[in-house]
Amino acid sequence: MTSHLRCENVTVRFGGVVACDKVNLDVEEGKIVGLIGPNGAGKTTLFNVLSRFQPYEAGHVYFRGGPVDNKRPHDMIRLGMARTYQNIKLFGEQTTLANILIGAHRLIGNPIANMFWLPKARQTERTLHNRAIEIAEMLHLENDLDTLVRNLPYGYQKRVELARALASNPEIILLDEPVAGCNEEETNELKEIVRRVNRDLGITIFLVEHDMSMVMTVCDYIYVINFGANLADGSPTEVQKNPDVIGAYLGEDYHA
Amino acid sequence: MHRKTKKVGTASPGRRVLLGQQIISGLASGSLYALTAVAVVVVFRNTRTINLAQGDFAMVGAFLAMVLIKDMHLNYYLALAAVVVACILLGILTERIVMRPIADSDWLTLFTATLGVYYILHGVAGWVWGRDTKAFPVTFDPTPINFAGTIVSQGHLINMGWAIAIGLVLYVFFKYTKQGIAMRAVTDDPDTAQLMGIPVRFIVLLTWGMAGFLAAFAGVLLSPIVYVSPEMMDQVLIKGYVAAVFGGLYSIQGAIIGALMIGVAENLAGGYLGAHYKTATAFAMIVLLLTFRPQGLFGIQKRREI
Amino acid sequence: MGRKEIVAALKTKFERQNQVAVVLLFVAAALFPFMPGVEGWMASQASLIVIYIMAAQGVSLLVGYTGLVTVGHGGFLAIGAYTSALLTKYFGIDLSLGLIAGGLMSGLIGYGLGLIFLRLSGAFMAIGTLGFAFFIGAIINNVPLFEGRTGINLPASRIFGVKIGDFGFYLVAVAALALTTLLIYCVVRSGVGRAFMALRDAEKAAESSGVNRVFYRTLAFSISAAITGVAGALNGHVVNYVSSEVYADIWYSVDFLVAGVVGGSALLMGPFIGGAFIVMVPFFLEKLADFAYILKGIVLIAVLLLAPAGVADLLARPFRAMRRRRLAAAGDSLGLVGAAAARAQTAEGR
Repeated sequence: MTSHLRCENVTVRFGGVVACDKVNLDVEEGKIVGLIGPNGAGKTTLFNVLSRFQPYEAGHVYFRGGPVDNKRPHDMIRLGMARTYQNIKLFGEQTTLANILIGAHRLIGNPIANMFWLPKARQTERTLHNRAIEIAEMLHLENDLDTLVRNLPYGYQKRVELARALASNPEIILLDEPVAGCNEEETNELKEIVRRVNRDLGITIFLVEHDMSMVMTVCDYIYVINFGANLADGSPTEVQKNPDVIGAYLGEDYHA
Repeated sequence: MHRKTKKVGTASPGRRVLLGQQIISGLASGSLYALTAVAVVVVFRNTRTINLAQGDFAMVGAFLAMVLIKDMHLNYYLALAAVVVACILLGILTERIVMRPIADSDWLTLFTATLGVYYILHGVAGWVWGRDTKAFPVTFDPTPINFAGTIVSQGHLINMGWAIAIGLVLYVFFKYTKQGIAMRAVTDDPDTAQLMGIPVRFIVLLTWGMAGFLAAFAGVLLSPIVYVSPEMMDQVLIKGYVAAVFGGLYSIQGAIIGALMIGVAENLAGGYLGAHYKTATAFAMIVLLLTFRPQGLFGIQKRREI
Repeated sequence: MGRKEIVAALKTKFERQNQVAVVLLFVAAALFPFMPGVEGWMASQASLIVIYIMAAQGVSLLVGYTGLVTVGHGGFLAIGAYTSALLTKYFGIDLSLGLIAGGLMSGLIGYGLGLIFLRLSGAFMAIGTLGFAFFIGAIINNVPLFEGRTGINLPASRIFGVKIGDFGFYLVAVAALALTTLLIYCVVRSGVGRAFMALRDAEKAAESSGVNRVFYRTLAFSISAAITGVAGALNGHVVNYVSSEVYADIWYSVDFLVAGVVGGSALLMGPFIGGAFIVMVPFFLEKLADFAYILKGIVLIAVLLLAPAGVADLLARPFRAMRRRRLAAAGDSLGLVGAAAARAQTAEGR
């Protein structure tokens, strides 16, 4: 078993509030790993730490065993990590195709050559276009390539975000609440897509999710955090039986 | 298209000038810039609009004052009161006709729309009153007065007195009146203010009215110094804008401090380096500041992410 | 053939039509001096329009595609003009080299400015760039090399060693404009253009897609400044004279911004309309400067109220609607458009 993305004793403080307190987790390569926890448990903060948007005062993040504490967000994509956002951050005034192509930005090669459409850049652009269309087909977006993203229904936008992440040819994708706000049909569709991305493309997936059915059916391994600290981890069945986890969620008046 | 730049402030009385005197007259012109700077801040923080027409509100006010005093022989204070009313109306009209329909647009649209108002007011003033510079019927009083050990013109003292009085009025307005408090609430968080039942639209209208109010004083007080012409306020507007940015665009105190600093700095530069370094000084200061503090002196970074 | 292929084929066709239209426009512009009754002063006036269009192109690349604002491009106009003028005066270089040098110098300084103002946006950026224009103005007014208000007289322009008059100069200007138009066309359609627009629309998301904000912002500034710099070099040679009376005037900077906003930014044709507007208004209203102001103000506000994306966008609307109908018809023939329409309705319902 190889570690793909790991964090060690990560601590984040906002003013006096401790958002993450010595959190440890390890995402194994090729697996679907979930992160759950009650509201305000520090999930999104931890997620932003891993994608290097959030500075932290103590602890380390490792990518394939190497420390990435000093990397910036746009460096992470070059290492092979892509992410999506809880509240969709798409380029609304642009088409689906343009959005997917932005995801492929790290593959455009020398920007100056690209800007002047030198022969090699032309070749690259064609490849990127074709791949963008393939990805769109895989996520059932092929009929909306020309549509402005802001005109797409919510569930479609979620998929465009995933498509954009896929376009960068990542080894690992971080999904921030991929089914939040989706109806049941959209949720089921996304579940299937996540499984397919993992299985067919061999991409490691790390996801934060509120929807228990999604986490329990899709994930291979689950981490639970509460009040910014590790609470439990294990396979879906183990986590479901863990009394601490049940307690934490009951405290929040949770109905599964 | 070419504008003649005009010096703001007094002509320097020879090369050998006393430092203290330079500083005091710098503070005097600075306090007049502050009228524009504060208006820029008040409008910006409630509407995201940099009002480039602010100077021209004042310019129209100055022309009106000139007509009222010279042609209609009105008393100075009565004329001032009339000009205040007229300028408030001008601000309100600008909001109702031009700004309200595009209130939700991006920053650049709002900015260029006020540029459109600027052009129109410039054109109208030139058409009605002519392009040439005219003397203001009330003259600047250069009588020297001994003030805290330095010699100051009486006119400067009077102007500073006015500026301080207006500052006090604003302070009382924002601190104690219902509308003033509502205005600050809109600044802090327009959405919450709306939910709390504050009539945001009315407050925005009030904001533009206040811009007109401040412009009226800026126009009438500056006229004896810069004389009256369609271009009279161009330099002052730029300095007021620079001062507002200097203070971070959200802070009235910051804008006042910025305006005073610019007034003093350019007066010193004018006295020791030469008159044509005056405006350059203001910009040297702002570019230097923005390079190291992009949010201005008292600004909060990313106060409102839009 | 599925819907995707039909749509793709139609789009290629539309794009080809667009290209043909632009090429025809340039051919017409190049033929203008050969029309009967055209005099030298008309060619000079037309050169001026070309120069303004080019300067507006520089501004619109920055404002429209990168979402930055500039009230300082008059500074780049000056840098281009003086670079070429000084090289011509002291080294007698060819006009072609002068244009390139003007563009390069301007682009280089644009890079520096982009770096200094990296963290600025909106109102802060506006005042910063305006300060830059003032700074350049102060330099050309006060540094002896630039000869201040006296100005520098230039010899008649030579292109590839051949002396050219008003007509020749106009043709050179049109050729240069064709090149800058091609450059912008290439840039905005490339991965670089996509990165610009991504930074404009959602900075964070762009960064997490691997767009290096520092690099692309400074690149946008450089290209934009270089284009306006070439316009500046042309502007000096069109009258063979540069002086601080003209180039220290910050109103150029404001005019270029107005040209960008009136014409609209995010379309190839926008700067053409905006640039022409800014030159033509004072020209036709020479005796009525006040009305020129009023007209400029009214047009500016009317455009912002009625066509926020600019006049070019307004003119393109009927064409776009027609294209959309034809694209929809292409999809409809395969019975797919019903599903898409249903989805659009759900989207509006949300």
